[in-house]
Amino acid sequence: MNATAANTMFDERIDPGRITSFLLAAAMHLALFAVLVFGVRWQNRPPEAVMVELWNEPPVAAPVVVEPKPAPPPVAVRPDPVLVKPDIAEKAPPPKPRAEPPKAPARPRDEEAQRQIREQLQREQTSFAVEREQQLLKEQLARDADAARRRGLLDYESKIRTKVRGNIVLPPELQGNPDAQFLVVQLPTGEVLSTKLVKSSGHRGYDEAVERAILKSSPLPKPDKVELFSRELRLTFRPKEKD
Amino acid sequence: MTLTQDLDLWTLIVNASFVVKAVMLLLLAVSFLSWMFIFRKWMTIRSARAQTEQFEREFWSGNDINSLYQGSVNNRHNIGSLERIFEAGYREFTKLRAQRGTDASTMVDGARRAMRATYQREMDHLESHLSFLASTGSVSPYVGLFGTVWGIMHSFRSLANVQQATLAQVAPGIAEALIATAIGLFAAIPAVVAYNRYSHDIDRLAIRFESFMEEFSNVLQRQTVVRT
Repeated sequence: MNATAANTMFDERIDPGRITSFLLAAAMHLALFAVLVFGVRWQNRPPEAVMVELWNEPPVAAPVVVEPKPAPPPVAVRPDPVLVKPDIAEKAPPPKPRAEPPKAPARPRDEEAQRQIREQLQREQTSFAVEREQQLLKEQLARDADAARRRGLLDYESKIRTKVRGNIVLPPELQGNPDAQFLVVQLPTGEVLSTKLVKSSGHRGYDEAVERAILKSSPLPKPDKVELFSRELRLTFRPKEKD
Repeated sequence: MTLTQDLDLWTLIVNASFVVKAVMLLLLAVSFLSWMFIFRKWMTIRSARAQTEQFEREFWSGNDINSLYQGSVNNRHNIGSLERIFEAGYREFTKLRAQRGTDASTMVDGARRAMRATYQREMDHLESHLSFLASTGSVSPYVGLFGTVWGIMHSFRSLANVQQATLAQVAPGIAEALIATAIGLFAAIPAVVAYNRYSHDIDRLAIRFESFMEEFSNVLQRQTVVRT
């Protein structure tokens, strides 16, 4: 009887703070998680300031400076009255008042007109020179940009090729150094949509190994500059990088 | 910025292989339970110590044992371990004394046995869940290590069919595998500390209980001598 009394007494015992300890444990783990998330710097990338993705090259700014072209009419007008005069006389009178004014001052202002023409020529020539210079400069810039672009493109392709090469499992019986060309269609994220064999290396095992490697390399590395991205890439692979 | 960090931790966990994920989940559950028991035992032991101190003060302040016993019986649902031991011993003693013809040593022995039984029960209650903390402390680092080894094996296997092996190809796999070890250690370290701390506290309480039992037996012995 004594034992049963003690037993019931024992069974009635409940630990104090069952719920409190549960809540405290939950709080503990939340705190730890917060420390992990906010306290530890998880492999910081350099901040990407601009998130815009340009799929195409931005349009080249049109040359704003429009050469104020000295109108050529004065050159044309001078001989005009002489030639046109008979016509005008025979024809309708309305054009007359227009034709007359040049004619009348033509003679007294012959020298002046010539001088004007010369000035005109001079001006045109200088403007031409300026224009040509600008043209040359622009061409030079375009060439530079082109070269940079080509360099960047080569860089980009070699980056992709390096990644793909890491995934190629060379078939053991491969001989020589045949090259296989693939057309790779990718998304802007670098995900490979499809690959197509453009030029076979002549060795089926190698072609398939490269194709598998391209698919496995998805997502492909991104170019340094977004404008270098192109949806379709033509990539050439050789078993050995250099002969 | 915090978003990408969050993503990083999250992707590390999500990209882990199934076994590693299972290990992490298990360890998280174990860690949660062990923290729960840590808090619960902490409160239990704290209240047990406070109640013991209070009862010792009451007992040695020269109060009448009979009135003390009555107070304990009336209030039996929220009394401490030591008071329970006292109550069990004194109840047995009064019962034996009511029967005519029992000699003094039998009475004291009976009371002592009753106290010993209650003492065992109380110790059992105080020590409950401590073994869980102990096994958490000793096993969860190994479980975490298992997850890590598995994850590293996985990431090295993916290195096998690559021609140019770089660190970048294995580093993420190893990082995500190491999370398992981290969780294991996080579960183990507090469990070990709490286990050591609590078993020490409980040992000291046990010593107090035992010495009280001895002293109370002496008191009872003296009472029988006075009666006879």
